[in-house]
Amino acid sequence: MDKPIYIQTLSLVTPLGNSVDQHLDAFKNGVSGIKLVEKAGFQDTTIPLAIKSELTSDRYNTLLREALKKAQANLSTSGRTAVIVSSTKGNIDLLPGDTFAGTQPIIHEFFPKTEIFIISNACISGVIAINTAADYLLAGNYDQVIVIGIDAVSEFVSYGFQSLFALSNETCKPFDKSRNGTVLGEGCGIVLVSTQKPDGFAVLYKGGSSSNDANHISGPSRTGEGLVRSIEKTFKRSQVSVRDIDFISAHGTATIFNDEMESIAFGRTNLDRVPLNSMKGYFGHTLGAAGILETIMSIVSMEKSILFPNLGFKETGTSIPLNIIQRLESKELHTLLKTASGFGGGNASLILQKQP
Amino acid sequence: MKILAHSYVCPKGTFLNGKLVYDTAEEENPLKSAYQQLGVEYPKFYKMDVLSKMAFIGTEILLPFFPKDADLENDLQLIFANSSASLNTDNLFVESYEQLKTPSPSLFVYTLPNIVTGELCIRHKWYGENCFFVEETFNPLHFSEWSQIALNKGNNSCLCAWVEAKTNGEQECFLFLLTNSEDGGNSIERELSTLIKQYRNE
Amino acid sequence: MSDLKENLKAQIIEQLNLEDLTPADIQDDAPLFGDQGLGLDSIDALEFIVLLDSNYGIKIADPSEGKEIFHSVNTLADYISKHQ
Repeated sequence: MDKPIYIQTLSLVTPLGNSVDQHLDAFKNGVSGIKLVEKAGFQDTTIPLAIKSELTSDRYNTLLREALKKAQANLSTSGRTAVIVSSTKGNIDLLPGDTFAGTQPIIHEFFPKTEIFIISNACISGVIAINTAADYLLAGNYDQVIVIGIDAVSEFVSYGFQSLFALSNETCKPFDKSRNGTVLGEGCGIVLVSTQKPDGFAVLYKGGSSSNDANHISGPSRTGEGLVRSIEKTFKRSQVSVRDIDFISAHGTATIFNDEMESIAFGRTNLDRVPLNSMKGYFGHTLGAAGILETIMSIVSMEKSILFPNLGFKETGTSIPLNIIQRLESKELHTLLKTASGFGGGNASLILQKQP
Repeated sequence: MKILAHSYVCPKGTFLNGKLVYDTAEEENPLKSAYQQLGVEYPKFYKMDVLSKMAFIGTEILLPFFPKDADLENDLQLIFANSSASLNTDNLFVESYEQLKTPSPSLFVYTLPNIVTGELCIRHKWYGENCFFVEETFNPLHFSEWSQIALNKGNNSCLCAWVEAKTNGEQECFLFLLTNSEDGGNSIERELSTLIKQYRNE
Repeated sequence: MSDLKENLKAQIIEQLNLEDLTPADIQDDAPLFGDQGLGLDSIDALEFIVLLDSNYGIKIADPSEGKEIFHSVNTLADYISKHQ
């Protein structure tokens, strides 16, 4: 990488709290944002969700404004600035109208006149958004990019996942033997990707990539081929090797096929012994926000030298056993790998490193 | 950077490098007719949403122009964009649970814009990088920036598309294939804005 | 039986949003799934479960059972006439 790229957390708003400290407490104490919600499913069925219960309407806009307000207060640098938004559905309340139309004006309330890009690439949007931000910085177009990951819970998405039989009926248990589906969640996370070293804790972005399974539009690949190719490309671009990786923040949706696919891919890339977690047991699956929320908590892991347990995991439930983190553990973490996989056959990954 | 080839699919017809190849102006079902004129057997076509159907046809006719000596399986990046994401299918999915009383899984899987690039990757066995942007209008400058970045990262070529299906029935898919070149350089942006105007008859 | 098959074809087109097809495009014995025939997959199998329930009142509890039942229009019609 020609010049160092820094990543810093600007804000984190989820059912677990509105600050990084609140999230640190929740993660340390094994608190999940998931609970059973009556009448949230199709035909008023009860389904588990990770929702911010104080929000009764206008969920997307409220989450976005709340997170932007904090990001604006925490931003310590200036320069040529762009914003990249990662969201799968935008503000679904605007249907039948354009669901992405309202996002830019809200961002401009906080960061006037900045150029805004929106990436909507299913569940890998967040990781792609960070990769794209770094690409733009390396190309010299901007000095810093504010990357926003956001999706709100909606009946639209809940009914859709129900129609695919992809939802769990209780909680979210990534990689566990008894996992039986994912749980949907909501939240907004914001990071700063910058060529300038910001005040406060920041990590280095080393490289990233995406790939496609070229296999099926909604089912995960049986061989993990796409994820393997993205991981390998990311290692090459980052000039980091497998033995450097101290921790993996995996995707782990807790559907039977997704977690199985990831285990095969980590096995094929010799990463199956590296300590790993999925954070879906805390956040649920927040779709376009997931990559950002999970990157933020991975940065917290590096800052505090803590490995967070994979909430919901008890017993190996994948054909390739992984080194799932089961207890809170102190460990110096230098280099980590973040991965994501999603509908459309997409996979993405990136590598972060602690500053020397 | 240079444009190797481009295509345009809309209800009135399918165009390749500026020339009409399938006239569908009088057809009741233009995309079905274009698919039949294409003469390719790919039954999954019928299941696709409108975005994927247009991109499928537009990509098939571009195939002869892809670089022959490149590792397209890994080094072709897909960069797609539109303004309404998957709005058309989103509304059909809402209809399935509000009016027909059963949320339709086969509609739901198309309620993401990047399913289009997924369909093309499946069809052509492309394992490379993908990204789908949502933008207010076709922005030639952005496409030129994204492609240049993709090529600088080591990709051999970029298949780009502005693929739009609005709820008012307006449909278009403008595809263009880009690769590195010594000459050309800065004119891509201007070329793209001229091409889309010609295709749209503006 | 032939009425049932014609109805089934129309229902398949509607349920799976295959509006580009007409009943005449679907052969009675052609495989519905896989790369031959209609190229349907596991997501579409879920639609067939809905179709059988809402149009014929037939419930399929085990989706893996579906593979043989949903093979073609012929096997579907066979199953419906035996279970209705």
